[in-house]
Amino acid sequence: MTQSIHIKNQTFVLHPCGGMFWEEKSMLLISDVHLGKVAHFRKFGAAVPRKAIHKNYVLLDSIVSHFNPFQICFLGDLFHSSLNKEWELFQNWVAKTPAEIVLVSGNHDIISPLKFEKLGISVFEELIIEDFLLTHHPEERQGFFNFCGHIHPAIRLRGFGRQNLRLSCFFKSKNQLIFPAFGKFTGTHTLQPKKGDEVYAIVEDEVVQV
Amino acid sequence: MDGKHGLLNAPTGSGKTYALWFPIVLNYIQKNPEYRTKHKKGLKAIWITPLRALSQEIKQSAERITQDLGTQMTVGIRTGDTSSSERAKQKKNMPDLLITTPESLQLLLSSKGYQKVFKNCSAIVVDEWHELLGSKRGVQMELGLSRLKTITADLRIWGISATIGNLEQAREVLLGPASEALTNSVLVKANLNKKITVKSIIPKKMETFPWRGHLGLHLMEEVVPIINNSKTTLLFTNTRGQCEIWFQKILEKHPEYAGEIAMHHGSINKETRLWVEQAIRNESLKAVVCTSSLDLGVDFAPVETVVQIGGPKGVARFLQRAGRSGHRPGKESVIYFLPTHAIELIEASAMQKAVRNAAVEDRIPYLNSYDVLIQYLTTLAISDGFYPDEIYLEVKQTFCYQTLTKETWQWLLNFLVMGSQSLKTYDEYKKVEVESDGKFKVNNLAIARRHRFQIGTIVGDASLSVRYQKGGYIGTIEESFISKMNPGDVFTFAGRNLEFIRIKGMTAQVRNSPKRTNKIPSWMGGRLSFSAKMSEILRQELYSAKLDSKFQSIEISALAPMFAKQREESIVPKPNQFLIETFKSRDGYHHIFYPFEGRAIHEGMSSLLAYRISLLTPITCSLAFNDYGFELLSDKEINMQDVLDNNLFSPEYMLSDLQKSLNSNEMARRKFRDIAVISGMVFTGYPEKGVKMKHLQSSSQLLFDVFKDFEEDNLLYQQAFTETFEHQLEEGRLRLALERISSQEVVWKKCENPTPFSFPIITDRLREKLSNEKLADRIKRMTKLLTK
Repeated sequence: MTQSIHIKNQTFVLHPCGGMFWEEKSMLLISDVHLGKVAHFRKFGAAVPRKAIHKNYVLLDSIVSHFNPFQICFLGDLFHSSLNKEWELFQNWVAKTPAEIVLVSGNHDIISPLKFEKLGISVFEELIIEDFLLTHHPEERQGFFNFCGHIHPAIRLRGFGRQNLRLSCFFKSKNQLIFPAFGKFTGTHTLQPKKGDEVYAIVEDEVVQV
Repeated sequence: MDGKHGLLNAPTGSGKTYALWFPIVLNYIQKNPEYRTKHKKGLKAIWITPLRALSQEIKQSAERITQDLGTQMTVGIRTGDTSSSERAKQKKNMPDLLITTPESLQLLLSSKGYQKVFKNCSAIVVDEWHELLGSKRGVQMELGLSRLKTITADLRIWGISATIGNLEQAREVLLGPASEALTNSVLVKANLNKKITVKSIIPKKMETFPWRGHLGLHLMEEVVPIINNSKTTLLFTNTRGQCEIWFQKILEKHPEYAGEIAMHHGSINKETRLWVEQAIRNESLKAVVCTSSLDLGVDFAPVETVVQIGGPKGVARFLQRAGRSGHRPGKESVIYFLPTHAIELIEASAMQKAVRNAAVEDRIPYLNSYDVLIQYLTTLAISDGFYPDEIYLEVKQTFCYQTLTKETWQWLLNFLVMGSQSLKTYDEYKKVEVESDGKFKVNNLAIARRHRFQIGTIVGDASLSVRYQKGGYIGTIEESFISKMNPGDVFTFAGRNLEFIRIKGMTAQVRNSPKRTNKIPSWMGGRLSFSAKMSEILRQELYSAKLDSKFQSIEISALAPMFAKQREESIVPKPNQFLIETFKSRDGYHHIFYPFEGRAIHEGMSSLLAYRISLLTPITCSLAFNDYGFELLSDKEINMQDVLDNNLFSPEYMLSDLQKSLNSNEMARRKFRDIAVISGMVFTGYPEKGVKMKHLQSSSQLLFDVFKDFEEDNLLYQQAFTETFEHQLEEGRLRLALERISSQEVVWKKCENPTPFSFPIITDRLREKLSNEKLADRIKRMTKLLTK
C-alpha cells in the first residue's frame, strides 16, 4: 500500500520498498541501495549469506514494474564499495531495465563514473529539476526543496505498556525529504521529529504516516 | 606432580602458586643435573591466567623459586599489555617459564613455526580454571590444550580451581573426556577450612528503607565505622558504574579520607590499577572500592575486612570475596553484606545459610561452540596450516566437541573455504584455501592480520579509549554511553570529572573539569542469576516470614514492616502457594508472577508464558524479570482466568513452545552477537583505525536478519538458539520449576497499588519484548497516543 504526498503542486507516491515515484515526471527516486555490499564482505572473508545478494534486485524489479517509470534516479550510495563481481549482476539488471537511469553520486560511490557511463548511466554531483534539488547528502538551498538520502532515517515509536518500535521511514521537514535506505543489508539511524516534520514509516508492506 | 595430570582445588591465598611452580622447577633440575652451569634455553612451562592483572604477581613468585633454587631460568609475561618489541624478543628467545592468557596462547598458535616453540614444554598450569570453565574462553583453552598435547613430547596439565559444585566435571573438561590424561590424573583438595563470618548491615529504620534500587547509598554511613576499625577494607560493588558512584559519594561526605581511599575496576588504566594493588600491599590505603576486578588471584595480606554492596548473586563469588580478607592462614575472614533494597535482606539471610552449607553452584561448560572452533581453525590456518584429518581427531577429544560428527566437521570446513556449502562461479569469498596436498592455509596477509586482531577481542559493546588531548590514557568506555554525550558535557570517570571534547577515531578526548555532574558511565556486563541451590535456600528463607521472630534470622525479622505492607493487599506466599499479582498503572497493565527461581528461569518462563498467552489472543507484552519473579506488562489487560483455566504453566510441550517464543523476541539475537564476532563474520575494527575499516563493519543485528531470511540452517545461526536454551534459560531447571508450580495452589491477587515484592520488578527498564499483533495495528494505537 503506497501513500501519496504533494510538494510544490507536484504529486509523489511513497512505496513501502523505500522508493518514491514522481508522477508528473514519471521518475522513480531511490536512495542508498548499497549494491555489492554482501559480495564485498565475502571477498574479505566475512561469510554473509550469498543468497542475500539477489534480494536487492528482486526488490528493484518489483518497484520498477509497479510504476513503470520513464526515468530512475538513484540518490547516491548505489554501489557500496570498489568493483567486485556483483557489478556483472548490476550490468545485467541495467540491460534488462527499460527506464533511463541516472545517479547522483554519494560517499560510497567510489567506482569511476566512466564505468557507469559505459552502461548508459549519467553521473551527477547534484541534479536540479525545477524547484527541486536532488543530492546525496542533505542540503539546504534557498528556494529549493531537497530530496536526499545518506542518513538511512528511522523513527522510534513509543506506546502504552512501555512498548517501543523502530521503523525505517521517509523523513520530511519543511524544505527537505530524506529517503530511507533501499538496500536490504544496511543499518538505520534514528531521528527525532520536530514540530512541523512529517514522518512516513515503512510498516511491512505499507507506508503509514505517524 | 608425580608425573600426573590433575586439578588442584584451593582458595586464593593458600600458596597455590608455589605449590605448582615448585615441582615444575624441580622437575627441570632433576632432568638437567648440570642446571647451574649448563642452561638449556627454550620454553619449559606455561602458566595461564584469566586476568592479565595477575601476571605480575605470578611472575614474582616464579622468580623467587627459580632464584632460590639457583637455576638460570627466565620468567616472562606475554599478554595484551606486552609491547610489540618485547614480543619480538620473546619470539627469538622464549623465556623458560611463560605467563600468559588464553587469548595470547591462541595468538602464539597463530604464528609461524609454533610447533618448535612448544616442543620441549613439559607443563601447563591453568589458573582460576573455574572462571574460564563456564565461558567460551574455556573452550578456547580446551582447543589450545588439544593441540599442545600433540606437539609436545611430554606434557603435564594442571588446573587450579576455587570450590565449585562440579569439580569432577571441571577436571574432565580440562583434560578431555576419555583421554589418557584423565585416567592418569588426580583431584587434589586443599583442606583449609577457613572460618568465614558473614554479617548483614541492617537498616536502623526499616520503614524508610527503599523497596528498590541497586546503589545502596542509604547505608553508606554504616560503612564508615567498619572502614575506621579495620586496617584495610575492600568494598565490592557489582558494576563499574556503582563503583564510581560509591567512590565519589564517600569522598564527598568524608573528605578526610582523601588520599586514603582508592578505586579499582576493569576499565581504569593499567598503571592506576597496579598502583592501587601495590598500595593495598603497602597498607597505605584505608579502603578500596572495587568490582570483580579484584576477585581473583593477588594476595593482599593487609585486607582485614570485606564489604559486599548489593547481592553477589552467587555463593562461590561471595566466598571468594570473603576470602580476600584475613589472608593469612588461620585468620578469620569477615564479610559484611550491605543490602541495596529491602528484599535483598532475604538474600542476605539466604547467603549466610548457603555459606554455612557451602552450597556452591556449578559452572556449566559450553558444548559444540562452532564459533570458537571456526576461530581456532582459522588460527591454525594462518600459522602453519593444518590437515583436517589430524586436527579432527584432536578436536574430537575435547569435552566441548566430543559429539562432533564427520558431517558437521565437513560443514565447518566448507564454511571456512567457501563461506557456504556450495561453490558458485561469481562468488569471490576468500578466507582459507586448500593447497594441493590437502593442507588448509590462509595465504592472504590482510585476512591473517584481521584474524589475529580479532582473537583477542573480548566481546562487548564497542569500546573507546578515553584520553586527554595531550594523549594521557585514562581508561575505556562503552560507545553507547559516549554517543549520548555532547561536546561540553561533563561526566565522572575513574574518580575524575571530565569534560567531553570530541570523538577522534576510536578515542574520546576529554579535559579535566571543575564542574560537578551526576553523569556516570554504565557498563552493561552480565547480570547474574541465582543457581538452583541458592534459589531453594532463598525460598526457604522467604517461607520463614510466617514464623515467630524467635525462629527467624535477624534479616528476616527486620523485614517485618515490609511483610506487613505486602500483606495489606497481597500475601507472602507459603511453600504450597504460587503468587500472582495484577494491577494497573500509568505504564499499563501489570501482571506479576513469583516463582522465586532465579533470574534465568524467570526469563525463560516469562517468554514461554507470554507466547502461550499470545496463542489465546493477539497481544504485545514487555517482559521484566529479577531473581524473585517476572512481569508481563501490556497495554491491554490479560484475562488471568483464561491463563489459569488453560493451564498455561504446564510443562507439556515446553521445549517447542519455548523455541517458538524465541523467534518472537530478542534473546537469540543477542547471543548471535558474540557468535558473529568470534567466528569472524563481523569485524569490530582496529582500535585506532576505526574509520578506515568502515566499509567492512556491519552490525551483528543486521547479519542476524539476513541469516533469518536466507540461511536459517546455518550452524552458527542455529547455535544462537541452542546457547539461549542451554546457557541462558537452563531448560532442564525450567522444566523442574514448572512441575513445582503445577503442584502449587495459585493465589491471584488483584491489587490497587504496587506491592513491595513487585516494586523492584516493575521499575526495571531492561526488558524483553514479545508480540504477535499485526505491526500496523500496533502503530495505529501508538499514533493515536501520540496525537492525543
